[in-house]
Amino acid sequence: MRSQLDACLSAVNEILLGKEQQVRLALACLLARGHLLIEDLPGMGKTTLSQALAKVLGLSFQRIQFTSDLLPGDILGTSVFDKDTGQFVFHQGPIFAELVLADEINRATPKSQSALLEAMEEGQVTIEGATRALPDPFFVIATQNPVSQGGTFALPESQLDRFLMRLSLGYPAKAAEKALLMGDARRNLLPRLAPILDHAQLALLQDEVPKVRVSDALVDYVLRLVEATRTQPQFAWGLSPRASLALLAAARAWALLEGREYVIPEDVQAVLPSVVGHRLRERADPAGHSGGTLVQWLLREVAAI
Amino acid sequence: MNKPQSIPRVSLTWLLIAQLLVIIPHLGHLPLWVVGLWLGCAAWRVQIYRMRARFPNAWLKGALMLAAGIGVFVSRGSLVGLDAGVVLLIAAFVLKLVEVRTRRDALVLIFLGFFTVVTAYLFDDSMLSAIFSLLPVSALLAAMIGLQQSTLATRPWATAKLAGSLLLQALPLMLLLFLFFPRMGPLWSLPGANAKGVTGLSDSMAPADIAELSQSSELAFRASFEGQPPPRNQLYWRALTLDRFDGRRWSQSGFARLPLQPSWRKQGEPINYQIVMQPSARPWLFSLDVAQTSLEGTRMMSDFRLQRKQPVDRSLLYNLTSWPQALLEPAASTETLRRALQLPDGGDPRSRAWARQLKQQYPQDEQLVQAVLRNFNRQPFHYTLRPKAVGVNSIDDFLFETRSGFCAHYAGSMTFVLRAAGIPARVVAGYQGGELNPSGNYLQVRQFDAHAWVEYWQAGKGWLRVDPTFEVAPERIELGLEEAVAGENSFLEKSPFSPLRYRQLAWLNQFRLAWDQVNYDWQRWVLGYQGAQQLELFQRWFGKVDGRWLALCLVGGGAIVLALIALFLFKPWQHQRDQQQRVFRRFERLLARHALVRQPAEGPRDFARRAAQALPGQARQIQQFARAFEAQRYGGQGQSLAILEQHLRALRRALPWRLT
Repeated sequence: MRSQLDACLSAVNEILLGKEQQVRLALACLLARGHLLIEDLPGMGKTTLSQALAKVLGLSFQRIQFTSDLLPGDILGTSVFDKDTGQFVFHQGPIFAELVLADEINRATPKSQSALLEAMEEGQVTIEGATRALPDPFFVIATQNPVSQGGTFALPESQLDRFLMRLSLGYPAKAAEKALLMGDARRNLLPRLAPILDHAQLALLQDEVPKVRVSDALVDYVLRLVEATRTQPQFAWGLSPRASLALLAAARAWALLEGREYVIPEDVQAVLPSVVGHRLRERADPAGHSGGTLVQWLLREVAAI
Repeated sequence: MNKPQSIPRVSLTWLLIAQLLVIIPHLGHLPLWVVGLWLGCAAWRVQIYRMRARFPNAWLKGALMLAAGIGVFVSRGSLVGLDAGVVLLIAAFVLKLVEVRTRRDALVLIFLGFFTVVTAYLFDDSMLSAIFSLLPVSALLAAMIGLQQSTLATRPWATAKLAGSLLLQALPLMLLLFLFFPRMGPLWSLPGANAKGVTGLSDSMAPADIAELSQSSELAFRASFEGQPPPRNQLYWRALTLDRFDGRRWSQSGFARLPLQPSWRKQGEPINYQIVMQPSARPWLFSLDVAQTSLEGTRMMSDFRLQRKQPVDRSLLYNLTSWPQALLEPAASTETLRRALQLPDGGDPRSRAWARQLKQQYPQDEQLVQAVLRNFNRQPFHYTLRPKAVGVNSIDDFLFETRSGFCAHYAGSMTFVLRAAGIPARVVAGYQGGELNPSGNYLQVRQFDAHAWVEYWQAGKGWLRVDPTFEVAPERIELGLEEAVAGENSFLEKSPFSPLRYRQLAWLNQFRLAWDQVNYDWQRWVLGYQGAQQLELFQRWFGKVDGRWLALCLVGGGAIVLALIALFLFKPWQHQRDQQQRVFRRFERLLARHALVRQPAEGPRDFARRAAQALPGQARQIQQFARAFEAQRYGGQGQSLAILEQHLRALRRALPWRLT
């Protein structure tokens, strides 16, 4: 099973050059059954990453491009009158896929955003009185442009909290970019990717995650981290219990990817920036995006042992 | 200037205020130039803060220091001794201000300030000065707090409030320590500054000395009796006897300094009372005849005076029991009597002739004494604080020419006549009377109550007290000096503002008496709360205890309190269980010797990787230990410390030996 995971990782890394860490985090996020938010400038490979992941994990893929005039019906689906049968027939929206890429989620209005986020939380959608289950597995990879860009509706904290991780891809390293420029267009390589895992295997792997051992000492470390965010003056607010659960789940998935049956502090530290970065605000700047410096403070100051 | 180290504005403000407050109680004895020095230094330091001036360089500092030293030497004649020492301390305290650059300097200055506050008690231990000293202490605390504040803080009041509340919080501890802290004897003794230049009785008496004393309204001592005080005309407070006469002065002979216990017999009812003495710089204590005291280091000398080993250089509280009707030395030694008959070889022929004449006239000693007293009463003697000048034969001139004077003249001349007539006699110096404070039921005896009277000796009856002054001016004995000199307005003529001169103003008098009582209580209950009083209090509270048991309790109690605080702070029970962590700490210490220190947030694996890179030779052992630790601590595998210890030993063997 390890080998399959490694194969998945290397396959995606073939497509997305020089982003091993982010790819691994994204995979850990999916293994932990969390949704992923990728925040970056346009053209950094967000879509490629999600498509590649869908491909290797053997998931059906749908992409929703969020715009300011997108309506909830465009995401969930609508009932259309069929004149042959004389009845309304429900047409599934793009959300009924196993991996949904919600591109530029912060360009849509809050109303449409919350239609997606509700589905993410519940695993089902209710349309015109009928509750319809979403497929299992169900992942959302949302991308958003940095908040500072024009024409965006920032996601509120409560909705950011729905995402297990927030990643930023960043510019590729020079060597990786050179390889990119020299080689084929990445999008052309995608169709050639073969699925490595099937649904059963993926479910099996996902069931492995909660079994990864978490010792007393490690929980103490997580508690120290959480405690620090709640007591130190520079934090506008502390991490919620949901956040500490998310941290532990992500650390377990990371340990599984590392091939270990137990979590060590380094696992927690590896996932910490992406798991808590979007959940923290600096007291001096509660509206801003200063989670990163706070995470660095946690990684530097909180005793690991 | 190194910015993070510099003195915050609030702290500097409070430091300046504190310095002023520390210096104020010393103003009474400081040379004026020190005040000038402070003003200069304060202005300089403020200019430095405003970046208008620079810190002094080493040469300038040296010169200032030297100048201050010379200044102290010139104004005090010495660099050592209490007075000069304190002036030097304050000069240093003031000069330090201009070289305060860093927080550390400021701390030195603050601690020096606390010490200087304490030195003020050497000069004045009254209640007012004790209360005042809370001000400089608060200001120093505020300066200390200000040091920890940001340089941006600009509100000095908030800091002072915090300092005040800290001081308030310390109050219960202060009371506890005051009550329970054992009073140890001083490790060294300083010549008392309190007693320097105080007015009071001395061991020799020329009439002019007592005239000077009678101009002083300073307090000599206070006495409180169990029950009603004796009547005023019985209040003869003995200090010492003067048994040597050289023709001008009466003085204490060397014999009186010998520790000879005189014989005496208790008679009549005893009186119990307590005296709180002001510092006198003399070793003798005041008492009514004949007194016993439990005060340590005190004994009765051959002339019934009580004498202490050291001079009384700070307020002293002692309890006494007196037998006023006791027989004093009914069988005196010949040596004592010989001393009591000593006269100068020549001089005062008229007095001697008169004495011889009296002797023939009255063969009985007691009749002779009565005759002398009668003479003072019948002849036109005049009680005055402004006696006329006398010549070489001072006794003759006084008895037969001027006939004006006060107690010292009367006592001296009467003793002279009695001795010339062959009756052993001596002058007793002390105080007579005292002012009753009705609200507190105690007596205040002031310097102007100083008095001299006569004692003569009769076989079988011992020493008998006679007071020739009573024959001349009974109001001096019955009512006090003020009444005795009412006619000539000489009472406290040199201190026109003394409240004692305005006793007829009822409210002022009442206030004066009330205030005096507060001070008296302060002396009795606060300053007088020393070894014996402390033990008495403990015994009242805890039953019979002795000093050693008490000391054990104090030390034990302190240790228990400290141990509880330590337990609360360190919470050892929270560390107990973590054996793995302890082994890991040893691993860390081992690597720390090779300059590999784990950052607090560094996990074991990251640390091991870093260590392995730094010590490639021992990388295997390091990794083995780290893996084993990780597996046990996080993997829950093979909970065996022995394995960890084994890996650790292997690593220790592999590492080159190195001192920390």
